[in-house]
Amino acid sequence: MWYNKCVDLLTVSVTARESAGEPYTLVEIAGEADVTNTDELRRLLDDEVSQQPRTLIIDLSGLRFMDSSALHALLRVNRSLDRQGGVLALVSPQAAVAKILRLTTADRLIPVFDSVASAAAG
Amino acid sequence: MRPVCGNVTQGPARRPLSVYGVSLLLMAWDAKTAQPAPAAPEALTGPLSRRPAGGGPLPPPAPGAMSYQYTTDLAAVRAVVYRYAKKAGLPESRAVDLVLAVSEVAANTVRHAKSPGSLKIWYDTEKIVCQIQDDGTITDPLAGRRRPSLEAMGGHGLWIVNQVCDEVEVRSDETGTTIRLRMDLPQVEPGS
Repeated sequence: MWYNKCVDLLTVSVTARESAGEPYTLVEIAGEADVTNTDELRRLLDDEVSQQPRTLIIDLSGLRFMDSSALHALLRVNRSLDRQGGVLALVSPQAAVAKILRLTTADRLIPVFDSVASAAAG
Repeated sequence: MRPVCGNVTQGPARRPLSVYGVSLLLMAWDAKTAQPAPAAPEALTGPLSRRPAGGGPLPPPAPGAMSYQYTTDLAAVRAVVYRYAKKAGLPESRAVDLVLAVSEVAANTVRHAKSPGSLKIWYDTEKIVCQIQDDGTITDPLAGRRRPSLEAMGGHGLWIVNQVCDEVEVRSDETGTTIRLRMDLPQVEPGS
């Protein structure tokens, strides 16, 4: 069951990690991301981008839903990182999120992995 | 009445019990012989979804349609749509599509409309329909018909809606916008 109850909540947590000596930033997004909380999401992601990470990994496994405005926030991160020589990777999108990534072909622009470990290994 | 109805396809061997029974027989016969004839169902798929905004007034929603008002509580809108989609018998992946489509349309209410939006949902054995109405105006008649580039910072919403729904009807003028989304339900093979 994709939808058990209605929770209008977006949580974002950020941790700095290392993989084989290579540091990366892990951002976990959980809940539902839509136009009503995109500004907040964009601000949080901008903060991370401004730290100039070499690799930014966004774990989407806890995200039940994402609309096109949240997708634009991710595309914006990808563009900014690209400009400053960093890399963005997405991990484990659920069905609804995978669908919008596929429809818009954003999944061809941003690499999508099935685990944080494989994303960190590049 | 039920036994009469159940034996309708057995032919006239069973004597109709009432005038109502006779009309049931006729209706069954009509439906059976008339089925392959009209081209209408064909014409009602694909092409309509690419029709420009406008056209004549939409027929009224089905009697007993569910009605829901929303302002910014899009998660609640999605929950309602998902519940009805499953109740109507839409498969999981199509239910997810419908939730995405309605959420994108309702997001436009949050962005542009000045008053609450209204969601109506109804379904029968063939389809589920979601209608979203608000006081916003869509000025571009081709909104959502062209694939936006990934560089564009907007415009994906209505495009996604057109991609996932079986039919999209848009009516918009200075008084407001009505968008009707239809998803076809899986049909059981006749005789099974």
